[in-house]
Amino acid sequence: MNDRQPDISPPRWAARFLEWFLPDELLEDVQGDLQEVFYKQVKAEGIKKARREYWLSTLQYIRPYFLGRRQKKKSVHDAKSLYFDMFYNYFIIAFRNIKRNKALSAINIFGLATGIATCLIIMLFVQHELGYDRFHEKADRIVRVIFKGSIQGEKLNEAHVMPPVAQTLLADYPEVQEATRLRQYGIPRVTYKDKSFKEDAFAFADANFFQVFTLPFLQGDPKTALLEPNTIVISQAIARKFFGNEDPIGKVLTFKDFNTSCKVTGVMVNMPYNSHFHIDILASMASLPDAKSSSWGTSNFYTYLVLPEGYHYKNLEAKLPGVVEKYMSPQLQQSFGMNYAEFQQKGNYLGLFLQPLTDIYLHSDFMYDLGPRGNIENLYIFSAIALFMLLIACINFMNLSTAGASKRAREVGIRKVLGSVKGQLVGQFLLESILLTALSLLLAGAMVILALPFFNSITGQSLALDMGFVLKLLPALLLFGLLVGMLAGFYPAFFLSSFKPISVLKGTLTVGRKSISIRSSLVVFQFCISITLMVGTLVVYQQLNYMHTKDLGYNKEGVLVLGETWVLGAKEDVFRKQIMQDPRVIQVSLSGYLPAGPSYNNNFTVSPDSNPSQLLKTLKYDVDDQYIPVMGMQMAAGRNFSPEFATDSSSIILNETAVRALGWQQNALGQSITRSDNDGKKMSYRVIGVVKDFHFRSLHERISPLVMVLSRSSGTMIAKVKTDDVKGLLASLKTQWTALTPDEPFMYSFMDERIENTYVSEQKIGRFLGVFAGLTIVVACLGLFGLATFTAEQRTKEMGIRKVLGASAGNIVALLSKDFLKLVIMANLIAWPLAWWIMDIWLQDFEYGISLSPWTFAWVGLAALLIALLTISVKAIKAALANPVNSLRNE
Amino acid sequence: MRRAFLGEFEEIVLLVVASCHLEAYGVNVWEQVQEQTGRKITMSAVHATLYRLEEKGFLNSHMGGSTQERGGRRKRFFKLTPAGAHALQEIQAIRSKLWQGIPQGVIQLFGI
Repeated sequence: MNDRQPDISPPRWAARFLEWFLPDELLEDVQGDLQEVFYKQVKAEGIKKARREYWLSTLQYIRPYFLGRRQKKKSVHDAKSLYFDMFYNYFIIAFRNIKRNKALSAINIFGLATGIATCLIIMLFVQHELGYDRFHEKADRIVRVIFKGSIQGEKLNEAHVMPPVAQTLLADYPEVQEATRLRQYGIPRVTYKDKSFKEDAFAFADANFFQVFTLPFLQGDPKTALLEPNTIVISQAIARKFFGNEDPIGKVLTFKDFNTSCKVTGVMVNMPYNSHFHIDILASMASLPDAKSSSWGTSNFYTYLVLPEGYHYKNLEAKLPGVVEKYMSPQLQQSFGMNYAEFQQKGNYLGLFLQPLTDIYLHSDFMYDLGPRGNIENLYIFSAIALFMLLIACINFMNLSTAGASKRAREVGIRKVLGSVKGQLVGQFLLESILLTALSLLLAGAMVILALPFFNSITGQSLALDMGFVLKLLPALLLFGLLVGMLAGFYPAFFLSSFKPISVLKGTLTVGRKSISIRSSLVVFQFCISITLMVGTLVVYQQLNYMHTKDLGYNKEGVLVLGETWVLGAKEDVFRKQIMQDPRVIQVSLSGYLPAGPSYNNNFTVSPDSNPSQLLKTLKYDVDDQYIPVMGMQMAAGRNFSPEFATDSSSIILNETAVRALGWQQNALGQSITRSDNDGKKMSYRVIGVVKDFHFRSLHERISPLVMVLSRSSGTMIAKVKTDDVKGLLASLKTQWTALTPDEPFMYSFMDERIENTYVSEQKIGRFLGVFAGLTIVVACLGLFGLATFTAEQRTKEMGIRKVLGASAGNIVALLSKDFLKLVIMANLIAWPLAWWIMDIWLQDFEYGISLSPWTFAWVGLAALLIALLTISVKAIKAALANPVNSLRNE
Repeated sequence: MRRAFLGEFEEIVLLVVASCHLEAYGVNVWEQVQEQTGRKITMSAVHATLYRLEEKGFLNSHMGGSTQERGGRRKRFFKLTPAGAHALQEIQAIRSKLWQGIPQGVIQLFGI
């Protein structure tokens, strides 16, 4: 009020608040009343208090009554509510638009959903693979000690180290806070009362094992459970299996193989699935005499260290070479007759290295690793595929929205004339694209749920969509949807909103050359990816096929492997004689050394007597005289072991690679070689035969020198059998087995299955690529189909005129398809070298593999072209057959 | 019209409006309610109740002339409607019926 003092007025912001907050019709008298009170209070108690009171009273208008009436306050003059109206209008337009172009929208949504679903599944998989061993509280500080070396060019990579390593490192390096060991020791038979099972998840562990690894106890004390000899900690599953509902603590389990009984001192939770070791029964290391061994000559102990927080393991690793030199030198002297310096001079080395716990599952490539390992390369490949799938889907989205743009040019023109600014139009189109993305996201969720079991079954995974993960993922998903929506809607949004309204409404708008070229290059890109994936799939399958059919140098068919025959003990020979009487069994050998199976610690270092200073590290197979004929291996020279020669216990058979490595050509037979064992004892062998090279490991690895010695090696029986009545044969063998040893399960496998199992990783990637190549081609074709639809529609009139002027249906199909086929051909030309390069790298991982054939590429190119043609022609033929009257009537 | 429920505070405000007769507007009612009940009451509560009573049809209102002390804003005067008067009477009747139903001496027992 002008005639009043200007400073005596209610707080302006409070008044503003009321203006915003109150319904218009109530505003005047509320403000009036408040002001009246305010002036009264100014007089009575001063301006400060009055203002404060005014504020307080104002804020008290935030009550349900007024809140409820606030919405009624909509009016044309309110910019804010206009904004909401527009927003609402955008939604309506978006939905109408989706409804109008059902086919196009469906393609759009479905395509994007497929991309997102694929991406999600792969994310689940990657998350699963990366999550290994993370559950241990000290996961980031635990490292495993590993053993690497090279003797005479032969690489040595072992996951376990010598027994004293843990103690030595703990004593010598203060940064090692804790050191604990795990030692596997066969597959014992465990007995409690009348229950008796073979337990393969068995190991010895140091007493401080549970201080390093976080495996919660249900009963017992983790700190003391493994202190005493003959104590064990079992998992909940084992407890249930042996004791049912009884209290397991203090119960005694009997280990027949070790002639001991162990008392249960703790029950831990079952091992999580994502751990690099799965041990159900942990026995105290104090029960194992080996554990105190100070020998640096054998390695059997998985050793884990805990390092300080924030300490990089490489710092400790740098100090470790000294350890080997200091402690291993005497051992070397004894075994090889040279000290470490001399040993090193010959280009050899041995050393301890460290490996972070969380790297073990994905990055480990060692002999004697505990449990299965993942493959980081596959993870990269899968992630790349996921990314590409998403990219292709987004590109489709962009392509289709842009293609549909000219149809909506009139709408944009009108909106612009009516006063929409570019920003609003961008907002509208982004909103539309986000809406579509949201629908895709929902569909993708459903797809993931439906596809997961299928995915699991073809990849042998057990991924699950647990609620916790979903909830954690939800914000990310929403953000992701927003991002994809923005990304996918970005180009059409800016492209569409830049239309000039005048040219649009006059009808002189030409959807520029530029957008066509961008769209075309996107199609090329999509097909590039699809073709590359298809080539990849084909090459992987060719390589798998090559591995299946390659002559491995031994029989795959009809070789039956009977596992664990050592449990028969003295009755092993009885069993062998029995089964040999079966006419379906041709020959039986007793040897645990099998190609394409887990390799045992069977290193053997020999030197030829003709040149004693030459060392050759070889693998050693303990075999009997039946081994070579049963396995179907061929002799290159000399003879097999034979019972007729009493001297064969000191005879040796080499493979061709070993002969070459020793520098002998024709004169290998009759040579002698010497081997010194860990105790320094020397043994001399005479070469009586040379066996042709055979692939004793997967085709990833080059054949290395190998020797065979005649030695009894019980454990596994290998039988060459007739394959016409396998079922009957197995049934009869089982009967004989059970008669001899009723408790033990009868275990068998066939050589070809075992070989198959060696290539699980390749099979997995083959299936993966197959599925995803199929999916990308489907999504790419969806895009192509959408574009073809659009083009056909745009050129309806042209086609009508052409038909009237005498063009045949064939001409028109050709005309419409030509442009697209050019793009696919171009995609081929780009994809081929790319695919060649990638697959060449992949194939280099195989020592024995196929070479890439140009035909593969040609066939894939042709297939892509055909699929594209088929997709387009569905639309093109329809356009060609349409009656021109329909399209020209309006003209 | 559905018979509207009358809350305790609403009843008081309605009674105050009735007793103020022609001078019933926001500030006046607010001061009267506080004075009569001896309670501290916010202005917003009074306003909300007045408007709600109007919506329920117990009151109607008209805008008066502008006054300087209110920054030129007009006053909204409230007046009891026949429905409002009826509602008050009904409450009064119910109350007195209930009072009569109390046996002799019960209230005195509590020393009132």
